[in-house]
Amino acid sequence: MMRFKQCKTLLTTVCLVALSCGASAQNKTVAIGYQAPLSGENAQYGTVFRNSATLAVDEFNKSGRLPGVTIQLKFEDSKSDAKEGVNIARKFSDDASIVGVIGDFNSTVSMAAGQVYAQTKVPQLSQTASHPDYVKISEYQFRNINTQAYEGPLIAKWAFDSGAKKVAVIAIQNDWGQSAAGNFVQGFKALGGTVTETEFFNPGTRDFRSILTKIARSQPDAIFVGAFYEDGSAFLQQKVQMGLKQPVFATSSLYEKKLLELAGPAANGVYLTSTFVVESTEPHVAAFVKNYEARYNGKPQQFAAQAYDATNIMLNAIVAAGGANATRAKVRDALAATKDFPGVTGTTSFDPATREPIKLLSKLQVQDGKFVSVK
Amino acid sequence: MFDVFFVQQLVNGLSIGLIYALMAIGFTLIFGVLNVVNFAHGEVYMIGAFAGLLAITQLAPPLFAVILVALAFGALAGFGLERIAFRPFRRFRDEASLKSKAIREATLLSSLAVSIIVRELAEKIFGSNMQSIPQEYLLLKPIEIGPLSFANGQFLIFGLSIVMLGGLQWLLKHTRVGLSIRAVANNPMGAAYVGINTERTIIATFVIGSTLGAIAGLIVGLYQGAIFPAMGFAPGVKAFVAMVMGGLSSIGGAVVCALILGMAEAITTSFFAQGWGDLVAYLFLVITLVFFPTGLFGGGRERV
Repeated sequence: MMRFKQCKTLLTTVCLVALSCGASAQNKTVAIGYQAPLSGENAQYGTVFRNSATLAVDEFNKSGRLPGVTIQLKFEDSKSDAKEGVNIARKFSDDASIVGVIGDFNSTVSMAAGQVYAQTKVPQLSQTASHPDYVKISEYQFRNINTQAYEGPLIAKWAFDSGAKKVAVIAIQNDWGQSAAGNFVQGFKALGGTVTETEFFNPGTRDFRSILTKIARSQPDAIFVGAFYEDGSAFLQQKVQMGLKQPVFATSSLYEKKLLELAGPAANGVYLTSTFVVESTEPHVAAFVKNYEARYNGKPQQFAAQAYDATNIMLNAIVAAGGANATRAKVRDALAATKDFPGVTGTTSFDPATREPIKLLSKLQVQDGKFVSVK
Repeated sequence: MFDVFFVQQLVNGLSIGLIYALMAIGFTLIFGVLNVVNFAHGEVYMIGAFAGLLAITQLAPPLFAVILVALAFGALAGFGLERIAFRPFRRFRDEASLKSKAIREATLLSSLAVSIIVRELAEKIFGSNMQSIPQEYLLLKPIEIGPLSFANGQFLIFGLSIVMLGGLQWLLKHTRVGLSIRAVANNPMGAAYVGINTERTIIATFVIGSTLGAIAGLIVGLYQGAIFPAMGFAPGVKAFVAMVMGGLSSIGGAVVCALILGMAEAITTSFFAQGWGDLVAYLFLVITLVFFPTGLFGGGRERV
């Protein structure tokens, strides 16, 4: 008797499940995979990406641009470890609901995962990987950040025009840092300048005094820094303590409010570039800043904006690829056709052949503890 | 090559080495007594820095008081660590267990587990990024002596390591606690037979060692301008290398080897590139182990 009753309950459940399945066929879910370091040493960046992407997708789902389709974000934690990145890439590739992937954070992990996505033909859009070789992996790799091949020579010209004829270069010892230093050096030498010293520091270095001493000995007119803001602020503080007076030119990776907090007065005078300016008065940038701040209690910075735009570019591509009927191949083609996308990091187009993004850079300087636009 | 910049490089190397030495002192003390590596020492170092930072942001007391706060939290952390990670493995008092390698390795792993849990918890609570430190507490004020530039933190670290090393030697040679620590380190069963309370001595060792670690963490954090949950890892590895090179239980030896490592890094940066610094440091370790299996200052201990 008992058994019969249980059978009945089971039957009812099965019916209910079948019914609810029928109902959800009307409301289809399309997923975007997002791989980023959510724990470990780079977790602060991954967390910001997750915030921005969630904000973008929630706004999209509310907007009703794709009736009957819900976009779902699936996050995986790559811990900034290339091995983890590859495992996640396999997992995402096996997940049929995922039509496109955003991530990873640094070039090394993005490129390792990219090898998998190239084979499984999943479109991959990194918000930050700027190594030149990343988009060369296959036609499935995209990025929403200017490469160092564009940014490096631009900063080189800026430094050269400001009167520096001899520069010392310091950059982090990873794929990104090497391409940042390499492109700057190439650009600076092409202008007729000399590079007195090129130094790479290991990730996790806290003491830059040995490198600073070496730079001081080479007597440059200016110093180029290719680093993230934490290393950058330690470097700037120790530079002041060691009594080096040369001006510092840096990549957009230092455009972060935390730099001003960590380095304090040592940050004053630093020249840097950026695609995203949080103080901008353009309505769509101001709206993003306001919504982000309201939800996460803090102003978004460069990386948050990169991720927000990357997510929206991916969402646009899914719409263009047919929404509910989007396939990985169609999303790839739609991404490649991205043109004049009005992002918060500037108007963005992807070059159809090289898949390199084209974005404008603003020039900034730190003055009295604030980022100020300069000519 | 041998100009004033080279002298500056030696100063840099000395200050890097002193940071490793500060950490190695507490590390080696605990190893000497238990014969087990305490992997959570790096987290005690981190706890000291965070406790100090919280005191700074909440109360803004003078630096001396901040050090006392770090000291208190370090002592507490050492006590707790011993309780959680080490005591459960000392339940077995028979001679076979005392000599068992399995028990030693289990203890080593339990300290590693505590270290991971504490670090991840700190990342959950504070975030993994560097904490902002009020500028006036940073130990980065430039002090120029002739053409050489120093930071006030470097003098503090130098003074602190001398005080720690000297104080510890005095403690070990002239106080009752110190004498019992040495007795337990020498022969735990023998110490128990002559009436020394080994449990209390081991707790005392952890409290003293962790206090030193916590103060080191605070001062180095303020000197480097970098306080974050994973801050104990990199110097912890170097302190471990220094301890092994120095012969595992010789505190003075560990300090000397820490200074050698720091100098090697600075000089390698000067002549080659910073990326080679670690390689040279580990090369020293390999050479030491090949030619002096018991370490440079190890005396007649068993092979590492």
